Amino acid sequence: MFDKSKIGQSFPPFTIEVERGKIRELALAIGDDNPIYQSREAAQAAGYSDVPLFPTAPTMFTFWGNTKMVAQLVSLGINLMGVLHGEEEYEYLAPINPGDTLTGVMTLVDGKTRQGQGGTSMDILTVEIRYTNQRGQPVLNAREMIIAR
Amino acid sequence: MTTNVQAPTKLFYEDVQVGDSIPKLVKPSLSHIQLVRYAGASGDFNPLHTDPKFGEMIPGVGGIISHGMLIMGFVGQMLSDYVGPLALRKFGVRFKGMTRLDDVITCTGTITEKYEVGGEGRIAGKVQAADQNGDVKVSGTFVAALPRRTEGDNSHGYA
Repeated sequence: MFDKSKIGQSFPPFTIEVERGKIRELALAIGDDNPIYQSREAAQAAGYSDVPLFPTAPTMFTFWGNTKMVAQLVSLGINLMGVLHGEEEYEYLAPINPGDTLTGVMTLVDGKTRQGQGGTSMDILTVEIRYTNQRGQPVLNAREMIIAR
Repeated sequence: MTTNVQAPTKLFYEDVQVGDSIPKLVKPSLSHIQLVRYAGASGDFNPLHTDPKFGEMIPGVGGIISHGMLIMGFVGQMLSDYVGPLALRKFGVRFKGMTRLDDVITCTGTITEKYEVGGEGRIAGKVQAADQNGDVKVSGTFVAALPRRTEGDNSHGYA
């Protein structure tokens, strides 16, 4: 059962550089072979100034950027064994380009514990990660809801 | 540092009507290799998605299941094809069911709203991904900003 007093707590910031090759790798892993994600040249041929961000690329910022994420979630008091992903939402505030360095701050914005049958319980947590770029401009908000049993 | 601009789009605000369907995307059946590849790309190495023995031990899972985020990625591919990645302002989903190996996922969507924010034309819609039996795996919503025919092709439109 998670520690309710942690609601509102933010964790230390992490940074991640936006890499063209990682956008390409993610698009290809998803099976999207749109040339705009493959190279700057192909993106420019399609009218973009550089490789654009794939819509779900922010998931890489979290997993590759915040290397302490697992320890941070454990510190909230949840059981990570069998944790399920309930919801994910992105708010795209400004363009994010290859070469940008993003800083993310994760905050536990909401949480509740639901009692189930036979003394079982599950924790439902919502975390938000706010990203700014190297100029301090807010560029992306990511919200995710996770269910820990 | 260059600023990325919206590419010339084929889709204009005037062209979209409430009730329109988004061209659907049918993905090849889900393979174990794709999950391993997606784990490496995304950085999510949870063994639930890569190690069949691990999933067997979790009640209610029983074997390997897809990253929910891969299925959201399929929906992202559909939206990228439809409006272009830089037009998206919001994209959110709820994960409703587990996707297993060999499932064939189809992504669909519908336009639910057209409105303006500070003179910027926006569309909103609902999207989903379902398997070959019609079981919904992911459902969600999105908002995109679209240029108007009267605007230049290089408007990236961030309000």
